[in-house]
Amino acid sequence: MVIRMADEETEAGVLPSTELIEAMTRYNEQLVKAGVMLSGEGLMASDRGARVRFDGTGRTTVLDGPFTEAKELVAGFSVLRADSLEEVIEWVKKWPVEDGHGNARIEIRQVVGPDDFGDAVTDENRTYTVDLSGR
Amino acid sequence: MRFMVMIKADERTEAGVLPTEEELTAMGRYNEELVKAGVLLAGEGLHSSAKGARVVFSDGVPSVIDGPFAEAKELVAGFWLLDVKSKEEAIEWVKRVPCTEGVEVTIEIRQVHEVDDFGEAFTPELRAKDQELREKEEQLRLAVRDDR
Repeated sequence: MVIRMADEETEAGVLPSTELIEAMTRYNEQLVKAGVMLSGEGLMASDRGARVRFDGTGRTTVLDGPFTEAKELVAGFSVLRADSLEEVIEWVKKWPVEDGHGNARIEIRQVVGPDDFGDAVTDENRTYTVDLSGR
Repeated sequence: MRFMVMIKADERTEAGVLPTEEELTAMGRYNEELVKAGVLLAGEGLHSSAKGARVVFSDGVPSVIDGPFAEAKELVAGFWLLDVKSKEEAIEWVKRVPCTEGVEVTIEIRQVHEVDDFGEAFTPELRAKDQELREKEEQLRLAVRDDR
């Protein structure tokens, strides 16, 4: 999972220019042509979002956005399929410089696969755990 | 409306502790409910940030930083992509996420952009290309699912 981290502009709700959309489209097209890109979405600023906190005793608290720490928030994501972290890093290094005025911050995280759960996957729970992933 | 629902990481997920059979079964049942209600578009769990990296650009020049990353509670441990009618409906679904007793969990809900949000900057040509790429991505997802 490739996460475009938020910044002051994304959190201010600044929308991309045609030039930036073009650059991202060209980049995504390369990823799709290489058979690497499975999905990708952009998120609205956190002022349109919320957080639900579970306190560990079954109680929940709802907090409306916006949230502080813009640079730790998610502004968009893609799911890529690659043979190694290094391959993903090489793709991400080609991220369009138009994005974030050449100062974008991208986090790469490995997605859990069906074989990673070990013995926790049983014949009973397989159909609605493992088989639901990768949708 | 689509919402991305992210479970935030904590010390346990960042330590690479995988769910128990009980937790996995509870989460699977919850996911099954989402599917039956027709609201689940996608969902994935993430490995700890120790297996990840960051690429930080500075004036167009990338630097690579290997994980793990500090501030566990700001990291993402997993996500669902939901298709619902309102933020309130997303919140109601999130309140029902099975959480282990004694474990504090924060789940963030964020609205996903739709093509119409971008106005005229998203030209008809770019919209057509976006649609074409999304269709190809779906074919790739189906191929990956078949591989499993």
